[in-house]
Amino acid sequence: MNMTFTQQAETPPAAGSAADAGADPALPVLQLVGVSKRFDGFTAVDDISLDIREGEFLTIVGPSGSGKTTLLRMLAGLEQPSSGNITLRGTLINDLPARARPTCLVFQSLALFPHMSVGRNIEFPLKAKGVAAAARRARALELLKMVRLPEDYYGKNVMKCSGGERQRVALARAFAYDPDVLFFDEPLSALDYKLKKLLEKELKDLHKESGKTFVYITHSLEEAMVMSDRIGVMRAGKLVQVGSPEAIYGAPANRFVAEFVGEVNVFPVSRGDGGWVIGETGEPVRVALPEQMAGARQAAVVVRPEYMRFLEAPGDADNVVRGTVYNEYSLGSRMQYQIRSKHRVFLVEMSRAQTRAGDGKGEVLIGWNAEDAIVVEA
Amino acid sequence: MSDAALGAAGTTTGESRPKGRALRGIPAGVRCASPVALFMALGFLAPLLTVIGFAFAEPRTFTVFDSFTLENFAEIFDPADTVWMSFAWSLALALLTVVLLLFVCYPIAYGLVRVFGRWSSLVSIAFVFPLFISENVRLYGWTLFFINHGVLDGLLAQLGLPGPDVLFTPAITLFGMVYTYLPFMLFPMTLGLSMVPADLVEAARDFGASRTMIWREIELPLAMPGILIGALLTFVLAAGAVAEAKILGGQSVIMISHDIEIAFTYSQNWPRGAALAVLLMLVIGGLSMAVMARLDLDRILGRR
Amino acid sequence: MDAARNRRSHGLIWIWTLFVALVIYLPVACGALAGLSKGRYFLFPIRAFSFEWWEKTLDSLEIQRIVQTSILIALIVTLVSLAIAFFGALAFARYDWRGRRLYQKLLLLPIFFPQPVLGLALLLWFNALGIQPSWHTAIVAHLVWIVPVVTLVIAIQVYGFDPAMEEAAADLGAGRWMILKDVTLPILWPGIWSGALFAFLLSWGNFPLSLYTAGADSTIPKWLYSKMVAGYTPMVPALGTMSTLAAATLLLLGGAIAGFVRKRRAN
Repeated sequence: MNMTFTQQAETPPAAGSAADAGADPALPVLQLVGVSKRFDGFTAVDDISLDIREGEFLTIVGPSGSGKTTLLRMLAGLEQPSSGNITLRGTLINDLPARARPTCLVFQSLALFPHMSVGRNIEFPLKAKGVAAAARRARALELLKMVRLPEDYYGKNVMKCSGGERQRVALARAFAYDPDVLFFDEPLSALDYKLKKLLEKELKDLHKESGKTFVYITHSLEEAMVMSDRIGVMRAGKLVQVGSPEAIYGAPANRFVAEFVGEVNVFPVSRGDGGWVIGETGEPVRVALPEQMAGARQAAVVVRPEYMRFLEAPGDADNVVRGTVYNEYSLGSRMQYQIRSKHRVFLVEMSRAQTRAGDGKGEVLIGWNAEDAIVVEA
Repeated sequence: MSDAALGAAGTTTGESRPKGRALRGIPAGVRCASPVALFMALGFLAPLLTVIGFAFAEPRTFTVFDSFTLENFAEIFDPADTVWMSFAWSLALALLTVVLLLFVCYPIAYGLVRVFGRWSSLVSIAFVFPLFISENVRLYGWTLFFINHGVLDGLLAQLGLPGPDVLFTPAITLFGMVYTYLPFMLFPMTLGLSMVPADLVEAARDFGASRTMIWREIELPLAMPGILIGALLTFVLAAGAVAEAKILGGQSVIMISHDIEIAFTYSQNWPRGAALAVLLMLVIGGLSMAVMARLDLDRILGRR
Repeated sequence: MDAARNRRSHGLIWIWTLFVALVIYLPVACGALAGLSKGRYFLFPIRAFSFEWWEKTLDSLEIQRIVQTSILIALIVTLVSLAIAFFGALAFARYDWRGRRLYQKLLLLPIFFPQPVLGLALLLWFNALGIQPSWHTAIVAHLVWIVPVVTLVIAIQVYGFDPAMEEAAADLGAGRWMILKDVTLPILWPGIWSGALFAFLLSWGNFPLSLYTAGADSTIPKWLYSKMVAGYTPMVPALGTMSTLAAATLLLLGGAIAGFVRKRRAN
C-alpha cells in the first residue's frame, strides 16, 4: 500500500524568503502546512498538510460537511486559516486577499453576474485589470472559442444560457483572469448526467491544453476518477488519503475510503485462536494480511462486488458463502445481485456477457479469494 | 465571509489594506447596521425614553427628568377618571378590526398567491397604492359618500328611498379602521400564504384530505407566521388610530390616541399625555415582543 | 367535479377581490367628483362640473408653498433613507453577525407603532432638545418610520442575492469600488428602486407624523386636515385628488422605468 501522502518539503520555506521561485518545478505551486480552520467551536478543517504540484489536476473528494469547500476557500483567499501556513511558490499567502492571488475559483453556483451579457461577464477580470475595451473584447472572443461557444454569444444575456453554456461562460471568465491555479467548487453538480460526463472530459482536455494547475472538489469519487491526476479524500476536516486514482481505488487507506469509492462488501474480522474469524458471528475466514498490518488483531475486510463470484463448487474460492438471490439490479453493462446469507447481505457484480452459475432465485454459492480482498484497519 | 460589499474583501489582511485599519476587527454586519442603529437610537429610542421620563414628571410641567412622581398614573387609574373608556374603545375596536380583516383579506391573499397568476402584481399594486394617499384624504372621501346630500344619500333619493344615518357612529369608525388598515393585513398574510408550497397541498389532496382538513392541517399552520404579523400589525396600528374616529366617527367614540393628543395640546398636561402613551406603549410593545419572539424573519422574508 | 368546484371558488375569489378593490377606491372617486363639481357645496348627483376649484387650488400661493415643502421633504427623506437603509438591509439579510436577530426585530418596532403616538413622542423629544419643530424636524419624523420600511423592501432583494457574486468579483481582481459599482448595486437595483419609490410616496402621503412634528410648516396632508376640520371647501377634495394623481403618476413612471431597464438588460 503505497500511500502518496504529502511529501513535505524538508524545511518549509520561511515567509517571503523565496523571492523568485516560479521556475522551480520541484517546488509545489501551493503548499499547506498544518492548516486548520475553526468557526466558533467547530473545526471545519483540521490540521491539513498538502502539496499541490505545478500543473496537476488534483481533486479533493469527501462527503458534504467534510470541510472540502472551506479548504478550497482558504486556498482561494476567501477565508483565512485559523492556524497553519499556506504558501504560494514559497511565499506565505495566508492573509493575501483573493483579488491579489494568481488563483481563481469557479463557484458551485458559478456566480455569473446576472445583469451582464456573456461577453461582459468574461471581460470582468480584464476590466478590473484596466485592459482597454477593444483588447477586452478580442480576448473575450478568443475565450468563447476556447470553451466552444459561438461568437454571437458575446452579447447574449447570461441568464438565457443553458446550464452547460453557463458552465462554459464561468470557465471562460476564470481563464480571462489568467490564473496560475484554478479552483472548482463542484461546478458540475447541478447538471444532468450526460452533460456532466461531456464537460468532465472537456475540463480534462482544457487542463491538458492550458497547462494550468486545477484543484477540483466534489463529493463524487466517480467524477474525481475520470479527471484527476491525484485524489485527496477528506473526512471530518482531515485529509484521509492522497494518491493516484488507482491507489485510492486499489489500496484504500481505511474502511472510510474503501466505502467511499463505491458499493462494497465490508465486514470486521478479528484474529482468534484458530485464525481469522468474522467479527460478530465467528465464521472462519481466510485473510491475506498486508505487511504493515502484520501484528494486527482487528481489521476490516473489503471485497468489491466485482471480485465476488458465483461458484460451481465450494472448493472454487478461498472463502465460500451459501445464500439466496434476493434481488438483482441492472447496472447497464453489468448486473448486480443481492445475496442474503444467514448472517449478512453480499453484493456480487458481473458483466452481462458472463452467465452466472446457479440459475433462478434459489440457493447459490458465492465466494472470493483472500488476495482479492482489501484488508484495512478496522 | 467576504464582506466585499464594503469592498473589504479579505478584511484580515493588514498589509494589503492600510485604509480602514481601525474598522478591521468590526464585522461587516455591525458596520452596515450602525448607521440605522444610530439613527433609530436617536429618532426612536430617545423619544420613547423622553415620553417615559415625562410620564413620571409632575403634572402640568414642561421639563423632563426634573421631578419624579407616580401622580399621573394614579390619576389615570382613579375610577373617577373616564380615560379607561378610551382605552377600552381603542382596544375593542382594534380587536374587531383584526377579526374583520382576517375574513376580508384571506380570500384576497389566497387569490394573490394561487388564483390571479399573472394578474397578481397588478392586483397587489391596486391594494398598495392607497398607502400613498394620506388617510385623511381617503376618509374624507367616505364622508362625502355617506354625508347628507352625499353620494349614497343622493343615489337613494333618486330611488325615492330615505338616506341612512351612518356617519358619526362607532360603527362607521370601525368601518374606517377596517378600510384604512386593510393593506397592513393583506400583505403579511399574502407573504404567509406564499410560504405554503403548492405541492404540499397537492400531496395532501392526493392522500384524500378534504378541503377543510387541508386548510386546517396544512395551509393555516404554514401560513401562520404571516397571518400573525398581519394581525399584530393591524391591531397595534388600530389601537393607536385616531383619524377614523375624528373624521368619520365625529367624536362619537373617543380613542386613546385622541386623549393623548388632547393632553399634549389643548389641556397642556404633557405628563398626563406621556403617562397615557406609556400605558399604550406597554400594551403594544408587550404584544409585539411576544409575537415577534416566535418569528423567524429570515424564513418569512427570505424564504430560505 | 373538483375542477368545477375549483372554478366556482376561483370565480368567487375574483368577485370578492374586485368588490373590495372597488370599495377601496370609492372614496377616492367621491373626492375626485367633489373637487370637480361647480359650486361651494357638495351635492350629489352633481349638477354641473367645472375646473373652477382646480384652478383656484393651482393659483393659490399658499398651496404652491406647501406643495414645494411636501416635495422637498419627500426628496430628502428618499435620499437619506436610501443611504441608511441600503447598508441597513445588508446587515439585515446579507451578513451573519451576532445580534442580527435582535436587530431585525428592533428595526421593525417603528413600523409596529401607532404614528400619532410616535409623532407626539418625537415632539416631546425635539422640545427636550430645544429644537423648534419645522419641516426639518418633519423629515426626521418621516425617516423614523420610513427607514425601517425601506430597509425591509431592500432586504427582500438582498435575500435573493448570492454572496458568491461579490466573492467572485473580488477573486477576479475587482477592488471594493468596482464590486459595489459593477456588481452589488446593479444586482440590488430593483430593490433600491422600489425602496426609493416607497420612501418618496410614503413621505408624500404621510399625515400623522407631519401633523405633530412640522410645527408651523405644513405639508399637503396636514394642510388638508386643517381645512377639513375648519369646514368644507371644494379645494380640499381638489387638492386631495391632485395629490393622489401625482402619486399615481410617479408610481406608473417608476414602474415604467423599472420595466424599461429590465427589458434592456434582458437583451
